[in-house]
Amino acid sequence: MRGVLARHWGALVLFGLTALTPLVVKDAFFLDSLVLILIWGALSAAWNLAGGYAGQVSLGHSAFFGIGAYSAALLATRWQQSPWLGMLLGVLVSVAAGAVIGYLSNRLRGPYFALSTIAFSQVLLIVASRWRGFTQGSEGIPVPFRPGFWTLGLGHVAWVYVALGLALVHYGVQVYFERSRVGYQLAGVREDEDAAEALGIASRKLRVFAVTLSAALTSVCGAFWAQYVGFVDPFYVFSVDLSIRFALNTIIGGVGTALGPFLGSILITSLETYLRATFAGVKTGFTGIYLIIYGCVLILVVRFVPEGLAGLAARLRAGVARSRERATDHAHA
Amino acid sequence: MDPARLLGPAQIDALAQLGVSTILLGGIYALIAVGLTLIFGIMRVVNFAHGEFLMLGMYLAFWSFTLYGLDPYFVLFVSIPLFFLVGLLTYALVMRGVITASHNAQIFTTVGLSTALQNVALVAWTGDFRFVRPWHSSVVLRIAGTAFNLAQVVAFAIAVALTVALFAFMKWTHTGRVMRATAQDRDAATLMGIATDRVYRLTWAIGIACVGAAGVLVAPLYSVYPTAGLQFVLLSYVVVVLGGLGDMVGALLGSLIVAAVEVVGSYFFGTAWKEVLYFVLFIAVLVFRPAGLFGQRGAEMLGA
Repeated sequence: MRGVLARHWGALVLFGLTALTPLVVKDAFFLDSLVLILIWGALSAAWNLAGGYAGQVSLGHSAFFGIGAYSAALLATRWQQSPWLGMLLGVLVSVAAGAVIGYLSNRLRGPYFALSTIAFSQVLLIVASRWRGFTQGSEGIPVPFRPGFWTLGLGHVAWVYVALGLALVHYGVQVYFERSRVGYQLAGVREDEDAAEALGIASRKLRVFAVTLSAALTSVCGAFWAQYVGFVDPFYVFSVDLSIRFALNTIIGGVGTALGPFLGSILITSLETYLRATFAGVKTGFTGIYLIIYGCVLILVVRFVPEGLAGLAARLRAGVARSRERATDHAHA
Repeated sequence: MDPARLLGPAQIDALAQLGVSTILLGGIYALIAVGLTLIFGIMRVVNFAHGEFLMLGMYLAFWSFTLYGLDPYFVLFVSIPLFFLVGLLTYALVMRGVITASHNAQIFTTVGLSTALQNVALVAWTGDFRFVRPWHSSVVLRIAGTAFNLAQVVAFAIAVALTVALFAFMKWTHTGRVMRATAQDRDAATLMGIATDRVYRLTWAIGIACVGAAGVLVAPLYSVYPTAGLQFVLLSYVVVVLGGLGDMVGALLGSLIVAAVEVVGSYFFGTAWKEVLYFVLFIAVLVFRPAGLFGQRGAEMLGA
């Protein structure tokens, strides 16, 4: 138990505070930001499964996000079904698509894999924006608000808890990818594939598994997001910018760490909310200003803090521990 | 500016027209891709910001034309040294720090550069679609039952000239040999006394100069807006991968193949779905021929 506390104190503090917030804060704007932070964090966590733990950097994860969002929105508007069913459908489609992408990842590494994922998400963007009869084309789909849990027509407070549940599940899956047999095998494959295979690890299957799971979880977030935001725009949900954002949160927070994606999301989502609020009224030309900052932050983080916030914290802690050790050594001497 | 509209379909020989369109469009794609294949081939860096430099070149043509009435063909000569400097600057500020880092670090550095440049353009010049239309962009030539645009012919000629020049430069000059040596084995090149950091800086700057010039040349043919590069950049990767890493002549052939797919595809399926065709082609090439159609060695360095 102490071990669990020591390992996950950051998550306990973070998610504990989140759970308590709606009891104290009633401000809709603040709660809205909180929901978005949790959803973006969960999305980045899903990306982290493929990009971090399995080492397959995707720049087309918006494809799965869009599949989830479109499944939920289409089932809700065309067949008046629950978004929960839409989510299930999205997961099924994403598992199929994710398995294909996962299979590709066995043939393509690094930049080639990233490029092929971009191409995949672009194909879906073209289909969604041109197939007017089915997806309403580039106009997008407004998702109706129908009150109730089954239809996910919820208030802000309830949404905080739904998003928190989502975030906890994604955190848990990441921890599984860290501490389980599968997790250690993946780490082995990531560090030295030949050595891992020599030890009898089925590296190809593992990679497909990681990418597929990552795709499925991304599409779940997409379904929730469509219902929460209430509008699905093909040029947004399938955009490369969105895929970059999943990666950005994770890189800033710490690639291959369970808490990292959430830390990154807190920082980036708050920054975006703040800048949007500050610059929105000034001039329309300022809409891109936070993206300029993202771009520069990404370059700087990759260059100077490649281990991200979570890694930075670990480094500082190690530094403190070392200096404390040194202090006790001196005391003994 | 559809030449077919001026003539009427009956007077155009469909097959000849498809051929001519393919060659001219291929020239434009080669022009855009040649800088990318250079950087890809020598530095082994996938430059995700390639399309943004193209976009900056297009804006240079637009503003020179709109503010000072300068013809894009004149601006071309200014753009080459200008973008060479832009290349030196971005190399020093951005690329130098990650040149020996992992592929992932390089991917995200160039992605960050791409996002930043795109949005600098958005903030500075808004998202409006802009057009550069000098007198020669509407000149239509008609030869033997085909119709085509003068600007496309010029772009094609310059693309071929540039490809030949770079090919000759890489093959027969000392600097070119040094660059190829660095691409083949960085450590060995360093041991032979080659300052590899300078080679990378030069390669990057030449690559950016090429794509900047390409941007100026294609500005009269397409609309100019902050994300204009995105539609070309994925296509450039198809070209580069098809042609083989750093293979200038391969890139020219790859461009023709991509253009043929696009032209023939548009003819049969309509222009709305042509992108789907080349993205599918792209994934297929990556999966089945990652070393390029002509089996270029060196692809394994990217882990393909």
